[in-house]
Amino acid sequence: MNYPIWVVPYLGGPWVIGIISIIHIFISHFAVGGGAFLALAEQIAYKRKNENLYNYLKGHSRFFLIITTVSGAMTGVGIWFSISLVSPDGTASLIQSFTLAWALEYLFFVAELATAFVYYYTWDRVSKETHLLLARLYMVFSIMTLVIINGIITFMLTPGKWIESHNWLDGFLNPTYFPGLIIRMLIMAAIAGMYALVTSSRIPDPHFRTYMVRFCAKWLIPIFLLGPIVSFWYLNQIPQAAVQTIFTGIQTSGLGNFSILARALYLSMVLSGTIILFAFFGPYLNPRGFTFRIAILFMICGLSVTGTTEWMRELLRKPYVVYNYMYSNGIRKTEVPDIASAGFLNKGKWASALANTPECKADPGEVVYRYQCMSCHTVDGYRSMKRMIGDRDEESVVGFLNMLKEKDPEKNPYHGIMPPLAANDTELKSLAHYLAGLNGKADGSAPKISHGAQTVH
Amino acid sequence: MVGDTRRGNKLLGFLEERFALSTLLHLAEKKKVPIHRHSVWYYMGGIAAIYLAVQVVTGILLMVYYVPEIQSAHASILKINSQIDFGWFIRSLHSWGANLMIAVVVLHLFSTYFMKAYRRPREFTWLSGLLLLVLCMAFGFTGYLLPWDDVSFFATKIGLDVAAKTPVLGGVIADLLRGGEAISQATISRFFVIHVAVLPICLLGLLGGHLLFVQMHGMSEPDAFKNLPAPKKTYEKFFPNFFFKDILVWILALNVLFVLVMLAPWGIGPEADPFGAAPIGIKPEWYFLSMFQFLKLVPPMIGPIEGELFGILLMGIAALAFAVLPLLDQGQSKSISKLATAYGVIIAIAAIALSVWGALS
Repeated sequence: MNYPIWVVPYLGGPWVIGIISIIHIFISHFAVGGGAFLALAEQIAYKRKNENLYNYLKGHSRFFLIITTVSGAMTGVGIWFSISLVSPDGTASLIQSFTLAWALEYLFFVAELATAFVYYYTWDRVSKETHLLLARLYMVFSIMTLVIINGIITFMLTPGKWIESHNWLDGFLNPTYFPGLIIRMLIMAAIAGMYALVTSSRIPDPHFRTYMVRFCAKWLIPIFLLGPIVSFWYLNQIPQAAVQTIFTGIQTSGLGNFSILARALYLSMVLSGTIILFAFFGPYLNPRGFTFRIAILFMICGLSVTGTTEWMRELLRKPYVVYNYMYSNGIRKTEVPDIASAGFLNKGKWASALANTPECKADPGEVVYRYQCMSCHTVDGYRSMKRMIGDRDEESVVGFLNMLKEKDPEKNPYHGIMPPLAANDTELKSLAHYLAGLNGKADGSAPKISHGAQTVH
Repeated sequence: MVGDTRRGNKLLGFLEERFALSTLLHLAEKKKVPIHRHSVWYYMGGIAAIYLAVQVVTGILLMVYYVPEIQSAHASILKINSQIDFGWFIRSLHSWGANLMIAVVVLHLFSTYFMKAYRRPREFTWLSGLLLLVLCMAFGFTGYLLPWDDVSFFATKIGLDVAAKTPVLGGVIADLLRGGEAISQATISRFFVIHVAVLPICLLGLLGGHLLFVQMHGMSEPDAFKNLPAPKKTYEKFFPNFFFKDILVWILALNVLFVLVMLAPWGIGPEADPFGAAPIGIKPEWYFLSMFQFLKLVPPMIGPIEGELFGILLMGIAALAFAVLPLLDQGQSKSISKLATAYGVIIAIAAIALSVWGALS
């Protein structure tokens, strides 16, 4: 509410973040897991003096370098670009709370990139011992980027003691920090193993191909088996309300009234089970028959598991961007009562300035919609407001919005799923006028809002 | 450990004596699968089979709660969707599975057509496969009415009205299926019995025959592979090599089904009102859409013949040619072979174009 807002029609801003993020997650996890795979495989090649394996690693690392440095860096910047446009208040809050952590993250990222280039361009130019050292160094730097970013990502769902202390270390070492770290390490190792299967399936020598495919299967199966165990630990650490949301979803899903969260969980479970079977019946039992096409399909399956699980984790945090602290629309939980009495358009710095422009004065409801609803809804695309409003007239939209202000879950079934409406009565009516007007059901002209402080700071 | 092995050997011996496992294993190992750039199409039959297995299991489970009675049919589906634990899941698996199965059978049919897998001695494999597709579509048509919602009622009504126009037996068959002149309780009863008893029995027999032919004649080889010198031809054993890959493909196929079920569970429309107006823009299921669209394009009268009748006759001839033309293409004449291929391409393009047109219009 203190920054300009970016309108993304049909798709909605969160999906822009989601699409870029999911690509980045695949690549960044691959970069870290792949680093470990390269270091361990090179260690084996060095110990066994296996030139075949050395040659394989040279080829394997070329595509690895291109993907991780080019696409990884581009999508990483893309995330910053999109989150600062779609969720500027949330982004500002994360930067202010974890300034040192972000600086360290950047440092390790630069070190990781530099080592990756040195690693690739020094094949056959430095001694095998030095090259192995470079591989290990790359592994350490890439893991360090994970160690740091994991603290910030897990903080958003489980800020822990930070809520009271506002000490960055309390937020960083939050309750899901360690299970989150291990899960991510497993995902990274899994993606690296699946990618290695893709490159292994193209090895021309059939004996060495069989050896490498089975090597990858042995790398993957323990990871796939450990995944559900660590996930259980992770689920035990997340807020009870979020757990409740999952279980309510599961209980009602039996009867068809399932939440998207429950469906995401089922999908994640089914796909996770699937990849274990796939790894067993495919590369482990039949390494000779494991072709490039199957490896690609396997990779798609594995990435689907990662994507679905990340989607579920994001859904768990709803309606917050930082759990129990800041809602997805950038309004802090503690600010809601104040905004409800003083008025949203008198509080937000940019929102108030925007509402005071001649274009918005006639229909300030749209400004309230953009700041409070658009972080999850679009007018006529994803989670379409037109569809959700349906046949409701202005009066029934007012009733619905009043319900959204209720704090009692008995009176407000959307409590804990949607942020409360932070607006005074006039703003609520003007929002209702705008929303009902989307389907041509608005009455007369928009209610007039009198602004208090209008200065832009 | 040794004891375990002995126990295992004893068990194997017991099974061997009674079921001649080694003979079965020998049969499976003897079968070989050619490896070439079109080998991926060999998986289609297996995928169709796994989807069929899903249909059988979920169909049996749905029968426990479904009531084939005009007053209760819609309510029983609603109950399955909203009151029976995971009823929505089973029903969605059944509905999505049916669509996927038909799609895969269509792919299987066209892949065998273009790979010329119908040539001697596999003519009956081809014909039985063609009949299996017809059976699958009959499953789809009869199953579509059972939820007794608005769309299913009117789509079935239109489908039967069109079928009645078929010369000679069309009217009799439509009356037999309807159990009278209008869709009623008799129709639900008949469609239910056909769906859960008649068609499955036909399917079992036909599928058994189809699989027997496949086993007898082995996997077909496309010309490009057949004409290779012997040292350049590579094969893999059906068991265990191809079979293990088959398992992977089944897992993937089931994944596709699960994703669809989770992300887009099958719903149900309002209860059918035989005296109400048909919903605007009603369309049949996608696998009947090309025929439906074709009939829409035919003018009401073509000379002295009624347009719909003319359209049905034309589609009948086209379908008959699709079934028979392959039997004439036995590989001796290049021109017939090319004609068969061209005809298949025309049929495939026409079916896709008409379906897309039908869906968009």
